[in-house]
Amino acid sequence: MDFEFFIQQLINGITLGGVYALIALGYTMVYGIIQLINFAHGEFFAAGGYMGVILISYLASQGLHPYACLAIALVLAMGYCALLAMAVEQLAYKPLRNASRLAALLSALGMSIFLQNGLMLTQGVYDKAYPTEITSGGFHWGLISVSYMQIFIVALTASLLVGLNVLVFKTRIGRAMRATAQDKVMSALVGINSNRIIAVTFAIGAGLAAAAGIMVGLYYGSVSYTMGFVPGIKAFAAAVLGGIGNITGAMIGGLIIGMVEIFAAGYISGEYKDVFAFIILIGVLYFKPTGIMGENVDDTRV
Amino acid sequence: MTIRESKKKWLACGVGLLWFLILLWPMLGITPDGLEFGNTLKVFGYVAVAALIIMLFYQVQQAGRLEAAERPLKAVGGAIQAAYEKTPTWMVLAVVFALAVIYPLLTGRYAHDVAIQVLVYVCLGLGLNIVIGLAGLLDLGYIAFYGVGAYTYALMSLHFGLSFWLCLPVSAFFAAIAGCIIGYPTLRMRGDYLAIVTLGFGEIVRIILNNWMALTNGPNGILSIPRPEIFGYSFRSLSSMYYVILGIAIVTIISVYRLNYSRIGRAWEAIREDETAAELMGVNTFLLKLLAYAMGATFAGFAGAFFAARMKFVGPESFTFLESAMVLAMVILGGMGSIPGVILGVLALVALPEVFRELELYRMLVFGGVMTLMMLVRPAGIWPAKRVGRRSEEAE
Amino acid sequence: MKRLLVLAVALAALGLFLAGCGEEKKADQVLKLGTMSPLTGPYAADGNDIRQGAEIAAEVFMEAGGIPGYSNIEVIPQDTACDPKQAVAAANKLINEKVTGVVGAYCSSSTIPASETLAEENIIMLTPASTNPKVTERGLPYMFRTCGRDDHQAPAAVKFMKDVEGVKTIFIVDDKTTYSQGLAEGVAMAAKEAGIEVLEHDHVNQGDKDYSAVLTKVKAANPDLFYISLQNSATGALMVIQARRMGVTAILMGQDAVYHPKLIEIAKGDAEGMFCTFGAIDKDAPSYKEFLTKYKAKSGNEPGAYSAYSFDSATAYLMAVKAAGTTDPVKVRDELLKLDFTGASKHIKYQENGDSGSNYTVYKIQDGTFTPYWNSLTGEKY
Repeated sequence: MDFEFFIQQLINGITLGGVYALIALGYTMVYGIIQLINFAHGEFFAAGGYMGVILISYLASQGLHPYACLAIALVLAMGYCALLAMAVEQLAYKPLRNASRLAALLSALGMSIFLQNGLMLTQGVYDKAYPTEITSGGFHWGLISVSYMQIFIVALTASLLVGLNVLVFKTRIGRAMRATAQDKVMSALVGINSNRIIAVTFAIGAGLAAAAGIMVGLYYGSVSYTMGFVPGIKAFAAAVLGGIGNITGAMIGGLIIGMVEIFAAGYISGEYKDVFAFIILIGVLYFKPTGIMGENVDDTRV
Repeated sequence: MTIRESKKKWLACGVGLLWFLILLWPMLGITPDGLEFGNTLKVFGYVAVAALIIMLFYQVQQAGRLEAAERPLKAVGGAIQAAYEKTPTWMVLAVVFALAVIYPLLTGRYAHDVAIQVLVYVCLGLGLNIVIGLAGLLDLGYIAFYGVGAYTYALMSLHFGLSFWLCLPVSAFFAAIAGCIIGYPTLRMRGDYLAIVTLGFGEIVRIILNNWMALTNGPNGILSIPRPEIFGYSFRSLSSMYYVILGIAIVTIISVYRLNYSRIGRAWEAIREDETAAELMGVNTFLLKLLAYAMGATFAGFAGAFFAARMKFVGPESFTFLESAMVLAMVILGGMGSIPGVILGVLALVALPEVFRELELYRMLVFGGVMTLMMLVRPAGIWPAKRVGRRSEEAE
Repeated sequence: MKRLLVLAVALAALGLFLAGCGEEKKADQVLKLGTMSPLTGPYAADGNDIRQGAEIAAEVFMEAGGIPGYSNIEVIPQDTACDPKQAVAAANKLINEKVTGVVGAYCSSSTIPASETLAEENIIMLTPASTNPKVTERGLPYMFRTCGRDDHQAPAAVKFMKDVEGVKTIFIVDDKTTYSQGLAEGVAMAAKEAGIEVLEHDHVNQGDKDYSAVLTKVKAANPDLFYISLQNSATGALMVIQARRMGVTAILMGQDAVYHPKLIEIAKGDAEGMFCTFGAIDKDAPSYKEFLTKYKAKSGNEPGAYSAYSFDSATAYLMAVKAAGTTDPVKVRDELLKLDFTGASKHIKYQENGDSGSNYTVYKIQDGTFTPYWNSLTGEKY
């Protein structure tokens, strides 16, 4: 009984951690390349969630198979958020690239408020329901239950981690990203279009956020226009905890924050769970001021 | 402006509008009942027309056709500028002070409320300005000190019946202690690590306020907090409360001004510009950074105690992260490190949402947009400080 | 520097005048009624219902003849964002607009400070949604409440658990707001008195989406009934979906804030069989049907949980003004106390302290709708 309780909480923690990690990956990539805390990232996540439900219900009404709907919606929503992120980058961040970092931070905050309210005005104030029938069901062993969605989220996060690492370390564009992150002027001198690389990074980050939004929508059953805010902060904490700018670090940070929250709620007290998560964060940063994996200040930063 | 340049501008505008349409349509147009375009085109139409008008205006202005209209404006501006430069500073201050004093006599109740909010945020903004503008420490959990101040007064007056004037310094003292507690572990961190840790502390304080039922009464908050009294006169009306906060704000402005030009203020600026160099020159960075947190928190404590007395109610909802972000926005928008800048930033960010109240649902949308726009137009703030160098961490 | 100064002057002027002393319109012949509710933020859904309810009430009242001496009724909506500071600002704004009555607010933590401000100017406030007992217990003469009270709702819910469902153990979860926690504590207390064992009273935070940790606890504790006290229907739906997926088999029971068509729309099949306490709204009564058709026609959507209460609050105020023939608060208060009518939500008769009594009914979600199941006043099933 106690053991089963523990295992179930462990599964809960891994899933929640996976969700945070998915969002944190985008955060950390953007931070790595232009050292900007992109407050609007949580809104890309929410926009992705909305786009997913809009597309799934439209495609379903056209009589497509549910899995086909899901796959097409996933791709299109990721594309949509990539476009959105590129627009935001072009409009609100690019002109501030040489201004103080706080100016860009504030611009990001303004964009976050703008996008959140834009979502509210276009999508209405009510939560939107996801067609959860597609992915319902799961395994049960005694008291332990694991849903297909949980497995899917963890699998997706893990494969994205591998995929992103390959992208950053093994491909041409990854090399260009690392070069831009390290020194914009120098990389421009050797023929890298740093503006394009930054736009691509934003697009990838937002695409990941959109995927996370759809996963969350399917897993929890609904999306709301305010959904980006709290996970955004948690994902930011996760990215910092792991060592901001570091892809593997974001993953580890996400898992830790998720686990701490679940176990604090499960064993200590539900209302103070965020306090424990933040205390762990502060404690880790006190002893390792650049996060668990260490900030990548050498050529591995993206 | 050459034809080519203007062509480029128009092209950019066109591409931007097209992009906007692509982003807008899926949100409005795709429904389970099918695809529709009417709604999207309507919204797009408004935006496109507005964009075209702005572009046309811009074009005409660039071409110099508006000079006839601009000249008198410029002349007025120049005259004001000249008059401002000729009049001694004390005179300007005296006029501003006189205006501030007679303000409640000229305006209505709602204006008093807005003015009180402005002054509360002036205290908060100037306090945060010490931490971020002078010492260069990014603090995203500043509102926690405000909360500590508010709850200190609320609890002291509730349990011990202490008067507002006695609680005011006590609140500030407790807030300063909270500042030291938060400041201590963060001293080793820099930049964005500091940001998330202070954010975490801010959230911790809010969650504790929301959950420690025995002390803070949790989400119910503390009710019927007394208004200040002096020699039997109770500050019941809004206009009398306005004078209380005006007094606190003036004290804050003077102290921050004095601090700014003191040894401590210069040491803070040295830390902001280059911490290692400052340490080398014999600045005790550890103590001074801690002091910056404590001083910043002190003013938040003043503001908090006043806030509790003015609302007659404190609850944890008032101390969220968004509120911290708001104060931060005021400081950066106004111009870090500059006192008139911070005051202008406060005026802008408190007045804007209130002016936009007429827009109802569009209020926050416009607010967010304007915030970004202001940053794009004036990245250094409305009234940047004179003594600001490039911060060391930016120059990487 | 020049531009800067112009900007400074412009901003100062903006703050001083535009915000302050605008709106110097001629106020005669137009009755001004304010509404206060969260139009932005997480509770915007319910806030919107409240605004719409009052607006439609004013329209309907005008169509039915209006008030002699007044050419129109203007409804001025204000956003509180469920934040006490903004609520007080909104109250002051409404005072400036010279409203004589206010319908609102939604969150009890907004209603309480806002009502203190409105009381200074003797403005009548009728809340359609704040159920915290403190709202009417502060001795404010012009505070009225159209909905029920938490300290009536909790015993009604517990009575239902014990008498109808024969529940022996319950698990309570709330999300730490004035309203949800107050109600949850009420239920815990009443349950203890009734001899029902409270296995645990746990909390989640607002803004959470993941309730798996607490639900694992619920599953391990295996209560007869799982009582959900959350601030709005969207989080309620999340809790219900996750509970069923986790394999919690207990009876689910919610309260008036999760009572909303959206709960069923989001939770779908998982919500089947769930119970909710809400004021008894007789959906077959002519007054409700009339309200429903007009509401749908004018707003284009289904009424939410508080639409009818907001509609009735505004109607009650307008009726009182009409009867009094003036907006003088003393006379209107007398007329409000004399009112005795059947509104869209319930039969309304205000008491001396401003309450209008509670008539909580337990609804069961059956076939995708809320079906009245048990009446707490008579103690009988429908």
